[in-house]
Amino acid sequence: MKLRLPGGAILLSLSGLLCTGAGAADVVAVVSAKSRVTALNSDQVADIFLGKSSHFPDGTQATPVDQSEDSPARERFYAQFTGKSPAQVKAYWSKMIFTGRGQPPRQVPSGTDAKKFVAQNPNAIGYLDASQVDDSVRVVDGR
Amino acid sequence: MRIRPSPSAVALAAVLAAGLQPCARADEPSIFSFSGYGTVGAAHSSNSGADYLVDEFKPSGPGHTHSWSWDVDTRLGAQLAVTPTPRLSAVVQVISQQRYDGSYQPVVEWANVKYQVTQDLSVRAGRIVLPIYMVTDSRRVGYANPWVRPPVEVYSLVPVTSVDGIDANYRVTFGSVAGTLQATYARSDSHFPDASGFDPGTARARHIVAVVGTLERGFASLRANYGRADLTIAAFDPLFDAFRQFGPPGADIADRFAVDHRKVDFVGLGASYDPGRWFVTGEWARFDTHSVLGAKSAWYVSGGHRFGAWTPYLTYAREKADSETSVPGLSLQGLPAQAAGTAAFLNQTLNGLLGLVPSQHTVSAGVRWDFMRNAALKVQLDDVHVDSGSRGTFGNFQPEFTPGSTARIVSAVVDFVF
Repeated sequence: MKLRLPGGAILLSLSGLLCTGAGAADVVAVVSAKSRVTALNSDQVADIFLGKSSHFPDGTQATPVDQSEDSPARERFYAQFTGKSPAQVKAYWSKMIFTGRGQPPRQVPSGTDAKKFVAQNPNAIGYLDASQVDDSVRVVDGR
Repeated sequence: MRIRPSPSAVALAAVLAAGLQPCARADEPSIFSFSGYGTVGAAHSSNSGADYLVDEFKPSGPGHTHSWSWDVDTRLGAQLAVTPTPRLSAVVQVISQQRYDGSYQPVVEWANVKYQVTQDLSVRAGRIVLPIYMVTDSRRVGYANPWVRPPVEVYSLVPVTSVDGIDANYRVTFGSVAGTLQATYARSDSHFPDASGFDPGTARARHIVAVVGTLERGFASLRANYGRADLTIAAFDPLFDAFRQFGPPGADIADRFAVDHRKVDFVGLGASYDPGRWFVTGEWARFDTHSVLGAKSAWYVSGGHRFGAWTPYLTYAREKADSETSVPGLSLQGLPAQAAGTAAFLNQTLNGLLGLVPSQHTVSAGVRWDFMRNAALKVQLDDVHVDSGSRGTFGNFQPEFTPGSTARIVSAVVDFVF
């Protein structure tokens, strides 16, 4: 069971408040530099991460990769692309899991790991702090 | 556990067989995923003349039997999913909650194999969800819903959640609108307690056909569904056999009300809008049994606002009988005294059953607090107003219970997922 202490949750939400202040970096959706996908809008990115779509618009399979639940980039990504808070995303996935409609994306611990996974996998799609983007990945969020 | 040599058994076998496969490569996510959900909660009813029953499977509830009942919402569910290939998956979900017999013996809620035929078409076989409400498939997963429990008026119309059969799910996109079409063919056997004063025993539903269409665009979603089944409840047979002893008038009554291969149908509509900060959702449904179980329709509207971890919400729900709740029955005129006595008793029994169709409305106010990542605390107040002459969604009636009374239900639950 991955139950945690409420204290942790309170600290997290406090850090969330601090992060939304001035200077918070933007989160961008990225695919591998080797991917043929060049542009996606926010809805298309959201559909892939919420399991509503298993493929890119060109028909190739999409493998989304999430960062750990402790990652501030994750909270900002879901707020920005789906309008959902961490609790809402959790409630959404509990609905999907317990109706046999899907499993959440695989998870890696950090932005660095996400970038590595995406760079090496032409089907992958992830998200990063804009500051972490380099030429191993391509930003696809066309808004 | 009610495992039968049916498609569900095939799904169980598939999950077990997959367990014997060599481990997946280390850089791949496991083909197994285990998850679970549960609720711990208690509810109190201010009306001690009867038990408040959230669905027809409950043998008792808060009110008369218990001042505070732990049995209304408390449950634990566990699920194992196996995805040996991207196209093939199997899922088994076991749930423990208060059953019709009062026990918490676990039952297999789902056990099915799913095959993704194309990117947009999938088929399942085994024990599957009966898809008749907006949150049918997650009505037991408290954490996934805003309320302590889905509005009782609508969700108790058909309390059955899983059936044995096959379904097909087709996904289609029209521009920015995402649609799904689902068709189900199945059967089910459900056991009911005698909390209403009559023991219906087992309800056998055969040739269940359900069709569901959904449309989603942005934050809005719409849903429409239709279902029908061939329903038999043998426990009613003695009553209607007795009516048949009274010649053609008795046979007419029996033909009209018996639940013997009766065609029942269900229609449902739902809509919701959830931009994140707030939500509003509503459903309307009608269940017509064309029998002594009556016809009933119900609707609700619910809305809430999310303030960080706090989500206060309000719900209004209404249920009413669309069929007669009493009939003249057999004419006693000209009958010999003893036969007239029997006929009067049969009429009274029939009207007692017809009168069980609930007519009531409930105003609910509650709040959900997401106090930790995987758990939420909810507190809810329901003011239940039973229409005059109706007994509402209550049972285990005591002499002091008067039809048309009111009750305030207080509930507190903690929902969690893991």
